[in-house]
Amino acid sequence: MVLQDLGRRINAAVSDLTRSNSLDEKAFDDMLKEICAALLSADVNVRLVQSLRKSIKTTVHFSSLPPAVNKKRMIQKAVFDHLVALVNPHAEPFRPKKGRSNVIMMVGLQGAGKTTTCTKLARHYQMRGLRTALVCADTFRAGAFDQLKQNAIKAKIPYYGSLTQTDPVVVAADGVAQFKKERFDVIIVDTSGRHKQEADLFEEMTQIQTAVNPNQTILVLDSTIGQAAEVQSSAFKATADFGAIIITKTDGHAAGGGAISAVAATHTPIIFLGTGEHMMDLERFEPKAFVQKLLGMGDIAGLVEH
Amino acid sequence: SFNAISGLLRNIVGGKVLTDTDLESPLKAMEEHLLKKNVAREAAVRLCEGVRQELTGQKTGNFQSVDSVLRAAMESSLQKILTPTSSLDLLHEIQAITSPATKQQAPRPYVISIVGVNGVGKSTNLSKICFFLLQNNYRVLIAACDTFRSGAVEQLRVHARNLRELSARENVGDVELYEKGYGKDAANVARDAVNYAATNKFDVVLIDTAGRRHNDQRLMSSLEKFAKFANPDKIFMVGEALVGTDSVMQARNFNQAFGPGRNLDGFIISKCDTVGDMVGTLVSMVHATSIPIVFLGVGQHYGDLRGLSVPWAVGLLMK
Ligand SMILES: Nc1nc2c(ncn2[C@@H]2O[C@H](COP(=O)(O)OP(=O)(O)OP(=O)(O)O)[C@@H](O)[C@H]2O)c(=O)[nH]1
Ligand SMILES: Nc1nc2c(ncn2[C@@H]2O[C@H](COP(=O)(O)OP(=O)(O)OP(=O)(O)O)[C@@H](O)[C@H]2O)c(=O)[nH]1
Ligand SMILES: [Mg+2]
Ligand SMILES: [Mg+2]
Repeated sequence: MVLQDLGRRINAAVSDLTRSNSLDEKAFDDMLKEICAALLSADVNVRLVQSLRKSIKTTVHFSSLPPAVNKKRMIQKAVFDHLVALVNPHAEPFRPKKGRSNVIMMVGLQGAGKTTTCTKLARHYQMRGLRTALVCADTFRAGAFDQLKQNAIKAKIPYYGSLTQTDPVVVAADGVAQFKKERFDVIIVDTSGRHKQEADLFEEMTQIQTAVNPNQTILVLDSTIGQAAEVQSSAFKATADFGAIIITKTDGHAAGGGAISAVAATHTPIIFLGTGEHMMDLERFEPKAFVQKLLGMGDIAGLVEH
Repeated sequence: SFNAISGLLRNIVGGKVLTDTDLESPLKAMEEHLLKKNVAREAAVRLCEGVRQELTGQKTGNFQSVDSVLRAAMESSLQKILTPTSSLDLLHEIQAITSPATKQQAPRPYVISIVGVNGVGKSTNLSKICFFLLQNNYRVLIAACDTFRSGAVEQLRVHARNLRELSARENVGDVELYEKGYGKDAANVARDAVNYAATNKFDVVLIDTAGRRHNDQRLMSSLEKFAKFANPDKIFMVGEALVGTDSVMQARNFNQAFGPGRNLDGFIISKCDTVGDMVGTLVSMVHATSIPIVFLGVGQHYGDLRGLSVPWAVGLLMK
């Protein structure tokens, strides 16, 4: 699961410190060092780790703490608050409303899991009573339409795509128009994988977006992504202004720090986690619950609420 | 950055015996520099430790800063780790199997299988290798042994059709797709494909496999049977340049998945075009296994396959 090892290491570092008798500045520095090493091993962006470290240091301001204050509690709280801030962008994610057409467009890097997640998400809304349909606007990748079609048929979701039309903008517009006319509540548009280095691909994304005018654009991110997460997701943000992130492949072993860094870089909430290759493998994401679980917190859970 | 921090020490020049204390802060900066290049922390720490051991007690030359000594040492460490101990001439090896030098040895198809975690670019880079082989006038059979993921078979069908058109137009090579649809046991399909290739005088079989998480016991253990049934001459693992620290465990676990006495034969690092100069995955995967990198994927088109240029990679990493 995402960040589990990280949680364990951070927890250990904090409890080592708070358990030690001599709670001095050096012990505090060692703890910070260990936490930073853990974050770096988990692919959290290098610059983000540096600023996190500084920020915890200034929040706690160890040398000028009055002797009366409960230092352990202060340090714990500072660490937790900073971690929560990392995954909690304080932005409310979009929720589709029944009775009107909610168009959702999926974007992301090649192979991130967009097409798979489209059907998972469609199924999720479908089960909650929203009439949902899928549009395949990936006309580039070999077999993309077959992939979406086979998933859609398995999940019993209506779908639209074309084997002859090669312009994704046209397919997207036609598909969305058709499902809007048929009064679907949620219309999910799958797009090709792309990356910021290829300007044409980003331009195409803008064109599709203009054509379908989505209520929500979602960035799909692979949980194994490393240091490139920040640059790529910032570029997607600048061009497509996505309003939510879905992190996929969290059933893997990766710590997910790269994906978390993307949240921090773009101030965008994670709404779901992909947890496997099957249709049902989708979980809602709640930042606070996530950090609580991550840090194996029980007794100190109250800290996060502040 | 590396230069900014270690720049403080740039003034120390000439004839100094380096101590741990001299090296500590520039090495820390170097480690962070490598991390920013997406080198897994484990590999970055090991590289820096190696350089520290090499340099401690060494006397700097005249007018040499600690910075430049460290830089040179790291450059050569990276060079060393990335340079394969034995070079792979794939075309030559294929030739030796398909047209053996001696009469005692019967010709047979050369078998390559491609493995890796989900979505890294296995099927696409298999198609690029196919294109490369067609350009060299080989008859290639693509075996669709991803019998799980939706659209996997159709994906290869499209590639086989495109490549067939290309090769027919240039009048070189030939390619066919061997597929048995979905739900079948991949090992069986692979074995049958190899037999079919032998009967029908194909030169090379390229076997595509389903993506799998390296921590999925069940799917990983099925690779052992797969290797036994397909008996590939080469098993290449695709790892993507985008991946972070997970690259280390991906490489290790796949390298160990094929049973005793069978390892990976090489890595294909895909999506190198998506990471700019953050090409640390190259280092991480080799660090984890000592398995060489045979190809780089640098785009989504058939021509976007390269051999590894070590100076190019080291240049980007040290930039
Ligand atoms: N283990 C696991 N695999 C996943 C998950 N989500 C997607 N995958 C797999 O990841 C691979 C790539 O998924 P796709 O949905 O094709 O990715 P994509 O972003 O549409 O790819 P492109 O359209 O080529 O850019 C497939 O093998 C999926 O089965 C997940 O949550 N867990
Ligand atoms: N930019 C870039 N994209 C690539 C490269 N190689 C593959 N891709 C893209 O990555 C995506 C996934 O490629 P696939 O070949 O389907 O990956 P796979 O490993 O076979 O995926 P699964 O079979 O689902 O596990 C596709 O959109 C490819 O076009 C590359 O070198 N550069
Ligand atoms: Mg797709
Ligand atoms: Mg594939």
